Order: sequence, then structure tokens, then C-alpha cells
Amino acid sequence: MSNRSTASVSSADLRNRQPRFRAMESGHRACLGCGQALAARLVTEAAGPDVVLANATGCLEIFTTPWPESAWRVPWMHSLFENTGAIAAGMEAALKARGKSTKVLAFGGDGGTFDIGFQALSGMLERGHNVLYVCYDNEAYMNTGIQRSSSTPHAAITTTSPSGKERMGKRHLKKDIISIIAAHHIPYAATASVAYPSDIRKKVRRALAIEGPTFLQIHAPCPLGWGHEGDQSIAVARLAVQTGLFPVIELERGRLTGAMPIRNVRPVADYLNAQQRFRHLSQDNERAEKEVAHLQALANHNIETYRLEGDTPDSMDSEGIDTVRRGGMRWA
Amino acid sequence: MPSLTLPRSGYALPGTSLHFKTGSWRVQKPLHHHRAAPCHTACPAGEDAQAYLAQMDEGHPEAAWKILAGVNPLPAVTGRVCHHPCETACNRGHYDEAVAIHHVERFLGDEAIRHGWRYPVSRPKRSAPQAAVIGAGPAGLSAAYHLIRLGYQAVLFDQLPEAGGILRTALPAYRLPRDILDAEIERLLGAGIHFHPQHKLGRDMSLDELRADYAAVFLAPGNQRSREWSIDGAVQRDLHVGLDLLQEWVAVGTVPHIRSAAIVGGGNTAVDLSRILKRAGVTDVHVVTHQALPGTDAAHDATMSAIPREITQATEEGVIFHPHRGIRRLILRGEKVVGIELVHMKKLSRENGESRTVAFEGTETVLHVDQVIPAIGQEIDPTGMESLLRQQAFLVVDAWGRIAGQSNVFGGGDARQHSTGTVSGAVGDGRRAAIAIDGLLRVQDAPANDNETPLPFDQINLHYYERASRQIAGTLPVGARQGCEEIEQGLSASQVSQEARRCFSCGNCLACDNCWTLCPDEAVLKTQELASDGSHYVFDYDYCKGCGLCAQECPCGFIVMEEEL
Repeated sequence: MSNRSTASVSSADLRNRQPRFRAMESGHRACLGCGQALAARLVTEAAGPDVVLANATGCLEIFTTPWPESAWRVPWMHSLFENTGAIAAGMEAALKARGKSTKVLAFGGDGGTFDIGFQALSGMLERGHNVLYVCYDNEAYMNTGIQRSSSTPHAAITTTSPSGKERMGKRHLKKDIISIIAAHHIPYAATASVAYPSDIRKKVRRALAIEGPTFLQIHAPCPLGWGHEGDQSIAVARLAVQTGLFPVIELERGRLTGAMPIRNVRPVADYLNAQQRFRHLSQDNERAEKEVAHLQALANHNIETYRLEGDTPDSMDSEGIDTVRRGGMRWA
Repeated sequence: MPSLTLPRSGYALPGTSLHFKTGSWRVQKPLHHHRAAPCHTACPAGEDAQAYLAQMDEGHPEAAWKILAGVNPLPAVTGRVCHHPCETACNRGHYDEAVAIHHVERFLGDEAIRHGWRYPVSRPKRSAPQAAVIGAGPAGLSAAYHLIRLGYQAVLFDQLPEAGGILRTALPAYRLPRDILDAEIERLLGAGIHFHPQHKLGRDMSLDELRADYAAVFLAPGNQRSREWSIDGAVQRDLHVGLDLLQEWVAVGTVPHIRSAAIVGGGNTAVDLSRILKRAGVTDVHVVTHQALPGTDAAHDATMSAIPREITQATEEGVIFHPHRGIRRLILRGEKVVGIELVHMKKLSRENGESRTVAFEGTETVLHVDQVIPAIGQEIDPTGMESLLRQQAFLVVDAWGRIAGQSNVFGGGDARQHSTGTVSGAVGDGRRAAIAIDGLLRVQDAPANDNETPLPFDQINLHYYERASRQIAGTLPVGARQGCEEIEQGLSASQVSQEARRCFSCGNCLACDNCWTLCPDEAVLKTQELASDGSHYVFDYDYCKGCGLCAQECPCGFIVMEEEL
């Protein structure tokens, strides 16, 4: 076994000569294979250096800024769980007053976006602040120990939605946040997945080019909370898209303007079986079968609603969009 | 790294997390691990197609050719005549269609001739040890070339006036145009080989003399004698033997005047001869073989050894194949053949694991033909090598061409036992023998056998590849196949580029940026340079937590995780 890579290269020098912008530095304390760390890295890389960040309480805030260190190389501010939208709006207003064109990004998890910070976010959107709000959706309160949020999908186990005699994991459905955001009639709202980095970069650039409030929801697996190995994060995120459980779409002024077609729709069982949070659904009994059928129906509903099933193979569909080439020239 | 200060209030300086080396969490580490591609391990000549396809894909045809010609000095030849087992092994074949490797090889070979590219070798010093090579066929030419590449003087002998061996005497020009053959051989002899034509072992020099005069001897005499043939002892008076007829046609362009013929045999000689007879105006040409046609579910050793493409083209040209048939009896009028009695035959396996060809009674048919031509293979002409052969009809050699009991005599090519009878196999024999000779003269142990297991298909991450169909080359229409014009056409430069792009890059870096893009910890760094060997991605083990995402998402199986405790 050979390792030709480390010979005579100073990694510190190399780190400073990377042919891409780095807003988030190594040494952060994210778990192995963290989907959110990857998503935040991709978003800030695409956003470029002239940004300021408002970051809600949550994993991202905790693991990037253990005092007295920070992983950020761009101005970054910790907001509370509930007021990220308000903080970002204030930053934007202040920069505007000083005549600066610096872009404001607001980061929150699904807890800080769907639940606790929702009213501040809604107000920011309603007032039309020029902010890109990015929601890293890992479908539970992972930072405090995997409690269910309104983003947790139906039937998933969390510490506050266990499976047992009475329930098969979470009783309620995942909140359809993108429709609620779109109902604010903002210029651009989109969903994306860490499995498709080019798509994330494209959507970040697109959002930042728009004057006004924009919103991006990124599906980001949590190996600890979802119960899969760290090396499976991309594979699991990809399955969420391929099954139709997580539709990758774009909405402008509330209208659907884009959807990533699924070339080969996979059964939801493929996605569920890859994660321990759905392990009770692989039991051989009627309750488990019913829940799998329910989740399959939800996926089918997404596929019908957003017309996700591609009719012919396309370079921008779920299989074509991640095609690699020698030289690394991805399309975004 | 920014200095770490302890601020008195709630702020931190940018990028200070670098002070915390998350690499200490790791229990397994990613490594770049080059694995052989299946095309590489399958190539009898030892070519690493993945390596030259990568250079092609980067837009460096000359560098690609130099990789190719570093192993095989005759790529324009093998690109045409080889049965390309590389493509049978190609992992892409399990996905859509195998990469058209032989077309890329042929294209590079032709480009080298067109542009006059030079071999990646320098002329040996005058004081360098001399090695003798007997036979200027593909094995001998390859051995001589590799001896020069390794710094030795190579002295090449052949009994014929020109070099090329079987390539020149038995391969029809419609498969291997003579200008291509001449160009490659001329370039090869010009690389510093001392060539002595019209020198025959046992007539002009003896093995003992060679042993005494040269530091090492490589024997690649080929198979010059046709095997004995008869049907229960009966032979027609005007017997013609397949290889002789083929060589006659290749040399002078004529064949005996006959109306119909049955050729016996399932190899390339039989198929080539059948097509030549058809061109010469023989109305009915039959090929009779015990073996199965390729593409059927018969076992590999029960299938015709001729290249499937050639069989298809022969069928297009009107040759009639009789697979699973044997000749039970010659129907003679006086001493001339008027027909043959055929019988169905099949290779059946026996309980002891061996197999046996069985004829089925009651299935006899009669075929009226003027002539029966055996093309059942050749064997070694023992002249000058009697002491080595000890009554056997082949040279017994090991994987490196060494002959037991002989310190400095090596053998290879068609004349060795278990020879594949292919040009690429002969080229590989020559290369390995040259390496063994190098080991002998430097007093080194023979190198370890290079039989690495290739990267299996299930280690390719198919999500990252898009389906793309194989480029198709033209063939000369059947009506136009009269003379020596080449039947199989090549691919255009843009088609060759598309084929190179289709390569999965099994077991080697595709330089796709996946590891760099997908590391959540910014622990994969990239140098500015583009390199096809993965050396422009560097793992920063100070921060790598060992999650394995890069290994999992590497499209081509180039990253492996190793336990680290």
C-alpha cells in the first residue's frame, strides 16, 4: 500500500494555496461524516468572501466556535435560537445604512427554523430584507440529544418519539416548511441535498444574485441521530432524493419553477433500511408494513405534486447531475 | 495559523480552530491505493490501458503513446490483430459497454507513425552486455526492444530476409496493412537493434556458440512445422496444408485452383485461409471444427480460438462454418478427394474432470468438396534446439521465460508450452524474458510475479458515471472486400477522446475532485497541478477524523481506509 500524498508537502502551506475560497476552517468539532458541516462548507465556499453570517444556536454554532477558537474566516455572529431572522435583518439594515454591498447569510438548523426561530424568520421575509436564510435540515434537535422537531419525518425514532406499543416513532408528519416559506411570496426559495454539491453551489449563487429575501433548505444527514455510519452520509442523502421523500425543488414568488427529476425512483424501504432511526419499520408485522406503506405514499405524493419522475435520462436529473469528469470540472 | 489569544469577551479570532487537531480522533485513515485495472491484468502484453487512457483524456496523446510503447513496441499492429482480452475484462462492460481499448491503442500507434514519435528509450552503450534473440517475430522483437530499454545490446537473428515473423508471413494485409507493419518494424529496428536476417539456428550458428558469445539468449523461433494430419491414415495425394497456403497467398497472392474446399480447424489460420480462398474465387468454402462458435454458451476451451470479429466477417463474406463437426472419412476417387463424411461431435466432461470429444453415431452427412485443407496448428522446428527440447514439440519455460537447467537461455512466443498463440501474448513473453535477463545480468532475484488482483466492479461507485455508448468504427462493406484493403476501420480523434473519457479509471485517480468536494472537515487539500495519479490531492492527517466519506464516494476505488489504532 502506498501513500504518495504526504511526501514533502507542507499541508499548512498547501492549505493557504487552495484553489477555492474557504470560509470554514478545519479543527471544528463536528462528528465524523457530518452532513451539516459539509453543507455549511459548500454554502460558504459558493457565497464567497464578502459575507457576514448570523448563526442560530445549534450544532453548527457549537462545533465551529468552541471558545476561544473559531473555525470561521468570515464575520460571524451567534444569534439565539429564536431570533436569527431578526439578527440577520438588523445586520442587513446596518450594512445598507453604511452603503455596503456585503451579503448577509443566516444559518439555522431545522429546530431553529421550523420551530423556535420561525416567527423571526417569517418577519424577516415579510419585511423583504436582502438576506439568504439557509436551513440545515437534519430532521431533529441533534445538538441537545436527538429530540423530535417539526421537521422530523413521520415514523422516525428520536429520544422523544420512541417506538413502542403505542407508537411507531414520531406520530406526526414532517412540516412542509418550503410551502410555508413560499407563501411569503419571496423571490426565491429552494431545497437542496448534500448529495448534490453542484446543485447547492448553483442555488447559493442564484439566491445571492437576487435582491430580497431568499431561502435554501438543505437536507443534511446526521450519522449520530439517523443511525448510520459517517461514510454513508452522501449515500443516505442521495437515497432521500431518489425515493422522492426529499424533493429537490425551486420556487419563485411561490410558484414551482424547477425540480430535479428522479431518473430511477427507488422504493422508500431502500432509504429506511439504511438508517437505525427507522429500524422498527423493518420488523415483519402489520404495524411496520403500514408505516412503510404510509411513507411510500408520502413519497409518491411528493413525486406527483412536483412531477419528479423523469421521462428520459437528463444530465440534470438525480443520476446525471453528479457525473464526474477528469479534471474535476463539475458544472457548478 | 492565526495565534490563539484568550479574548476577554465573547469573540474569537478567525480560523483559530486550526489549533485543535481533530486528527487525534481518528481510528482509521484514508490512503491513496493504486489498484490494477482489469484491462491491465488481462493484457497478455502487460499494457496498462487505464494509464494511457488517462493521458488521452487529459489531451496528451504522445504521453499516452509513450506509456503504451514503454510496454509494447508494436501498438499499431496489436491494435489491429489482438483479440483484446482487455475489453472482455473491462469493468465498464458490466455497466454499459466495454471501452474500445483496442481502437485507442491502434489510434495511438498510427499517430506515432504519422508524427514520427520516438520510443522512450536511449541507445545502449557500446560496452553494454550483448544478448542474442532468435526469431524476429513479435516475441523476439519485443524482447530485443525491452533489452535495449533496459540498457543492453540486442542482436536479433531471423532465418527470413525480413523481420516480422508470423506478422509478415501469415497475417493477411486486409487485417494488417503492410505499410503499418513496415513502419513499426522499421522504427523498432532503428532503435538500436542489431538485426541479422537470413541466419538460421542450427545452420548458420549453434546454440552452444550463442551461449558462449552472448551474455544471454532468448529463443522465440515460433512454430514452423505443420502438424501431421490424416484421417485414419488416409491422406489425399495433393494435400495442401493451411499455413503453407496462407503464407503462399500472403507472399505471392495466389492459391491453387479449386472449386470448393473444406478447411479443418478453428483457429485464426483456418479463418484467414477461408477468407482468402473466397477472395481467390473458390465458390464454396467450408470450415469444419470440433469446437463451438464464439458467443454460444460453450466453455472457453471448447470455443473456436479464432477472433470472433474475424469469424463474423468471414460469415458475411460467405464462408460456411460447421461447428461441432468432425471428419469421419475422406471420400476418395483414386487418390483425390471428392468429398468428406462429417459427423456431429461434442466435447463432454468426464467424471474425472477431463474432457473428451465424442462423435454421435447416426449423424453422419456428406459434404462434396474438391479439397480438404488441414489448419490444425503448427509445432516447433527442432533444428538447433534438440538438446533443449528432448523430443518435445515445445519449449518448457516458466512465467519469466526461464528454461530449467539453463542459466542463460530463455524462451517464449508461440514455441513455448501453453502459448496463447497470440501476438500480444508473444509481446508479453518477450518483455518478461528481457526483465528476467536483466535480473540475471545484474545478479538480482527474479521479480515477483505481477499477478495482482484487479479492482472488482463492485468497488466502482456508479453514481458518478453517466451511461455512454461505445464508439463504433466502420468496416469495409462485403462487396468491396476484394484485395488487401483494410476491412476494419479506425476511430476518429474525437471518437478516441470520447472512448478515453468513458474509462472508469479503475483503481487510479480520476482527478474528479470528489474527495476534495465532499470532505466535511476540509482535510483533503488540493495542489494546483492536475495529475492523473492522485498526487494532487493530499490528506491532511492533522485534521482528518477518518470518517471514510472520501473512500466511500471515490468513484474509482482509489481511496481505501486503513485501521489505525
